[in-house]
Amino acid sequence: MTRGNIIGMFAAALLVVAHGCAAPQPSPDLLAPTEAQLKIRSIQTRSFDVKERQVAMRGVIAALQDLGFIIERANESLGLVTAARFAEPNYYDVVGVTVTVRPETEGKMTVRANAIYNNKPIDDPKVYQNFFATLERSLFVAKH
Amino acid sequence: MRSWIAAASGLALAVQIAGCVTPTQPDELFQLKAESAANRAMQTRGFETRDETELLSASAAVLQDLGFQVEESVREVGFLRATKERSAREHGQDITRFLVFLLSTGLIFVQQPPIVLPVDLHQKIAATLITRPVNPESTRQEVRVVFYRVVWKGDGSSGQQAIPPGEQRMEMLRDPVLYQTFFAKLSKAVFLEPFAL
Repeated sequence: MTRGNIIGMFAAALLVVAHGCAAPQPSPDLLAPTEAQLKIRSIQTRSFDVKERQVAMRGVIAALQDLGFIIERANESLGLVTAARFAEPNYYDVVGVTVTVRPETEGKMTVRANAIYNNKPIDDPKVYQNFFATLERSLFVAKH
Repeated sequence: MRSWIAAASGLALAVQIAGCVTPTQPDELFQLKAESAANRAMQTRGFETRDETELLSASAAVLQDLGFQVEESVREVGFLRATKERSAREHGQDITRFLVFLLSTGLIFVQQPPIVLPVDLHQKIAATLITRPVNPESTRQEVRVVFYRVVWKGDGSSGQQAIPPGEQRMEMLRDPVLYQTFFAKLSKAVFLEPFAL
């Protein structure tokens, strides 16, 4: 082993150590809203012509029952419904959904749904379109 | 020849365990199915009453009579969730398990242990119940109850491979008699005749 080799090894080791010392800095926009977030929010949100929160919530619950979900929790004052189901016919995957109902303006309610598939968020717009279509039908049935 | 049989039965079992179902694509998860309307009809009854709270508390009482524990209740939206746990042992499964074990004892000749099929051991039955007014004047209420069960399997083995216990599956109970019984009890409890919607 020549001296050059040894120096080279030391230099490499030093480089590794020095690199380890520098703590990775979080980027300043870590919690800033991203384009994707805004997009997914608009996919997950829809407003309905319903006056009362309770009516909207009952519509949400009925829609989820139609879709075969088990309603796990409901909170009237917060307008919150949580439900889950296995992705039948396969029994290994779990679908969870949280729906919030909030008053938007007079006579309008904003419904937001967050769905997860095995703890992974679903960001497919089609899934939410299907959900809102079912919800619309369920609210329509309740009205007439 | 024997090794062929062993290989074939091993393969058959592996296919069965792996499940030949294709996973549901997430985009069809929130779609109503053809049977959704029929399920809804089976699970829903209407009652001529203004008193939603009475209907809800009577429902809770009926669920208690059926051995359920009420776990969650929200009066404002007419919601109840109740569960009970029971054994899921069925003789048919035990007999199948025994026959498969017996037929696969031939595997011993190829230095393989016989196949032990896992059977259903335990189940948790859940009921979610919703009451809601049908018409704007709230003189009629509908009650919808949905029964589900989660079943846990025991252990088994296939060849040298042990199948660990605890595999689970969930299904909606689709036996109309179950729902009819429930609504018969509920109508007795509230002194009202239910009508189908």
